[in-house]
Amino acid sequence: MLSIEDVVTTYGAVRALDGVSLAAEDGTITAVLGANGAGKTTLLRTINGLVKPQSGSISYAGHDLLKTRVENIVQYGIAHVPEGRGVITELTVEENLRLGALWRGERAVAAQSMREIYEMFPPLAERRQRSADTLSGGERQMLVVGRALMAKPKLLLLDEPSLGLAPRITAQIFATLRQLREQQGLTVVLVEQNARSALSVADEAVVLNLGKVVAQGKASDLAADEKLRHAYLGF
Amino acid sequence: MFRFVNLTLSGVSNGMIYAAVALALVLIWRGTRVVNFAQGAMLMFTTFIAWDLSQQHNVNYWVALAVGIGAGLVMGAVAERLLVRPVETGPPLNAIIVTLGLYIFLQGLAGAIWGNAQAHSYPPGYSIIGYKVGHRTLLFAPNDLYIVIAVAIILVALYVLFNRTPVGLRMRASAFNPEVARLLGVRVGRLLTVGWALAAGVGALAGLLAAGTNPGYVAPTGYFDALLIYGFTAAVLGGLDSSVGAVVGGLLLGVLLSYGDGYIDNNVEGMYAVIILIAVLMVRPNGLFSRRAVRRV
Repeated sequence: MLSIEDVVTTYGAVRALDGVSLAAEDGTITAVLGANGAGKTTLLRTINGLVKPQSGSISYAGHDLLKTRVENIVQYGIAHVPEGRGVITELTVEENLRLGALWRGERAVAAQSMREIYEMFPPLAERRQRSADTLSGGERQMLVVGRALMAKPKLLLLDEPSLGLAPRITAQIFATLRQLREQQGLTVVLVEQNARSALSVADEAVVLNLGKVVAQGKASDLAADEKLRHAYLGF
Repeated sequence: MFRFVNLTLSGVSNGMIYAAVALALVLIWRGTRVVNFAQGAMLMFTTFIAWDLSQQHNVNYWVALAVGIGAGLVMGAVAERLLVRPVETGPPLNAIIVTLGLYIFLQGLAGAIWGNAQAHSYPPGYSIIGYKVGHRTLLFAPNDLYIVIAVAIILVALYVLFNRTPVGLRMRASAFNPEVARLLGVRVGRLLTVGWALAAGVGALAGLLAAGTNPGYVAPTGYFDALLIYGFTAAVLGGLDSSVGAVVGGLLLGVLLSYGDGYIDNNVEGMYAVIILIAVLMVRPNGLFSRRAVRRV
């Protein structure tokens, strides 16, 4: 279980996260929603250690993440899909994928995972030797998701996977997440601005506004709450 | 025609040395976005170490060479850990000042240990008497062939390391996108140290090869400063981000300087390099091989 308690993260005078608490049970998909600047990306960056919070605690499966170096979180089974520029464009598609499994160090296992990723995302298989620079937006998103899955994570943190994507590709990526949750018990924390499609895939949801949690509950309940939708989710 | 061939050959052998210096600069630029202005002084210092061993203590040429390169590796790693790491997150100027400081420090230290008054000579690896074609002598000797082969071996080794091994993949990921690399479990800091060590090792080899080509090369100031300028020009010519560019830039510069020496005047070689540098910065500031804009120099 991922447990976040009363986390405060500041950038200078700005309190990007202002006492956020959140728990994600194993095998669930949790959507973190909210407008631009609500603190969604900061929340992910605080979880994985790229940003140090001022106070609060974050733990995953008994590990204190605030005492863990960024380089080591992958060993606890946490993989991060960064927003937008997460593809290393100077490397080939295959090199990007290999990078995901490098920490495991077992070549045979890595080759097996790579075949699975190519089956999951066929467009990547066709371009495996190409520079990642040549990929379209949707293919890049498949690549960063695929690379994160190469690490065989138990917890997947995704930052705006739908950003700039055609709805069909977004749906495909979300379907993949659901499938992985059902087959492998993957836990997902999904940061999204696209609240409607995120709520359709998530079990639980949290709505952030200006660094504070303003609503929390079952995804279906939040989606049914018309006032909340109008006030914070824009649909 | 024979003269042209000769100038070209001579340019290629010098160009390989410039290519190695350029590669040392490119490796560091790509990894840490620092132009290592101390590179000239670092390879001067390692050449002095090898000179001291081989000329003062009768140590075998190859042993001295290995020690010189080894000293370069250590010096690069130490420089990164102690001097560059603390200023890495600050403004770019801080890192430039630090490398300039190291340059002055090493020059002073070399003077204090080995003296400033006299320039010493370092032996070439092989004969410097040119090969003969019929009754004419080429400006290309066994030692030049040795230089070309030695640098070529290093280039191939680095290519294999970077493109065919997991460590190389980690190093490239660290250089291109450190944040993403860290999230994937890559120990970026450690790999940057390795990158500096490798770069300084390549630089040390370049210094030793260069020192063997001219008598009176080994001194705290002089030739080695010029070598840094040539290496930097070659790196900019190829595009600071490209290791292929560094090699092509080095060869191109070597040949151009050789033509300048042979056809115009051989007393102002440094000036040709600076003219080429300025021309490149005016016409194609990203160099011949760089895909992206140079973010800061």
